[in-house]
Amino acid sequence: MSAHHHEDSIQHLYEGDQSKLYSGVMQHHTDVNSEESKNQVKRIWKIFWILLVITVAEVIMGMFFSHQMPKALVAFFFLALTLLKAGYIVAVFMHLGDEFKNFMVTVLIPLVLFVWFIIAFLADGGFWLRMNNESPARHNSQQSTTSSNE
Amino acid sequence: MSESTVVTAAPEPKLWAGGRSPYNVSYGKMMTWFFLLSDALTFGAFLISYGTTRFFSAVWPDPNQVFKSFPFMEGQNLPLLFVSLMTFILIMSSVTMVLAVHAGHYKDKKNVAFWLLWTIVGGICFLSCQAWEWTHLHSEGGWWGSFTDVNTPIAQFRGFFNPHKEAVQNMLSAHPVVAMQSTHDFFNYFFTITGFHGAHVTSGVIFNMLILINTVNGVYERRGHYEMVEKIGLYWHFVDLVWVFVFTCFYLL
Repeated sequence: MSAHHHEDSIQHLYEGDQSKLYSGVMQHHTDVNSEESKNQVKRIWKIFWILLVITVAEVIMGMFFSHQMPKALVAFFFLALTLLKAGYIVAVFMHLGDEFKNFMVTVLIPLVLFVWFIIAFLADGGFWLRMNNESPARHNSQQSTTSSNE
Repeated sequence: MSESTVVTAAPEPKLWAGGRSPYNVSYGKMMTWFFLLSDALTFGAFLISYGTTRFFSAVWPDPNQVFKSFPFMEGQNLPLLFVSLMTFILIMSSVTMVLAVHAGHYKDKKNVAFWLLWTIVGGICFLSCQAWEWTHLHSEGGWWGSFTDVNTPIAQFRGFFNPHKEAVQNMLSAHPVVAMQSTHDFFNYFFTITGFHGAHVTSGVIFNMLILINTVNGVYERRGHYEMVEKIGLYWHFVDLVWVFVFTCFYLL
């Protein structure tokens, strides 16, 4: 089937400047002082404050509390907050939340690989630590460790 | 298919039958997203190998000890304060970038230029902070390939470790070489990862300068849209996004 059977107005988008195919958020905006525009700006500043508050909470925790808490809890707390911040940046600042849902899923699905990456590699690291701790070198004197590392 | 069926039965062509963009996203913007996806995998690989090394190290430098300095306040114990400032600058520049993109949606040339200028200022401030931090850590002995000599006195790296943790202090006196090796690994990863991120910030600043020049010259006004601002904006936000993870991995955990 030849593409030339299609309507001219659609066709020129493909044969001419491809960048004229806007995403949904780019279309039909005219008045920068409209209510819609003001709400969008309000949303941007709201996300800024959320990101700031989360970061301040993280820093306070890192400065004063994280050393007294169980390691796993600290890691969970920081990672959860990090993912929350990442989610806000991607969804609002990068406008991925405003794109078609299918496009969103297409971009995000490959990132699922990270679940496996993280589990596999950190488990491997943990295994090496155990191996090293059980190795005779760790249990000998300082001098023999030094020479074995050379 | 006869012509009459097309006219009456199908007001729009089928989504994936060609002739339209199913995701309503231009080629350039979609490819920007997929470039960022590949970049995320690269940064992810760096951070995961950092995590792996950290997991197999019996001791690891304490961020509250390594990052406790602030310019012009040498010698004072101010953990995480400087990196908080850097994080604030980067978040702020992300906001000014998204405001530039927003102005672009409304073809508001003056505001696009205004917010892009502030984004560039933010990026340069961040890079200056990073330059200071690198210089400072270098003056404390940290660099690529530092701490490899087994005869290095313990005093040169003891300060990077938590002084209040008994297990860490025991390791330092019993096996100083183990602690020295993790100091070596720590700085290699720190300079590689923040360096790779800093290179992204640098190129982001250059891209922002280019689109600022184009905006001021009316290139996008003549083109009829500011999509280039949106695409560079995606890159800039991605750089901020990576910093969120670098911040957690290096400074908090």
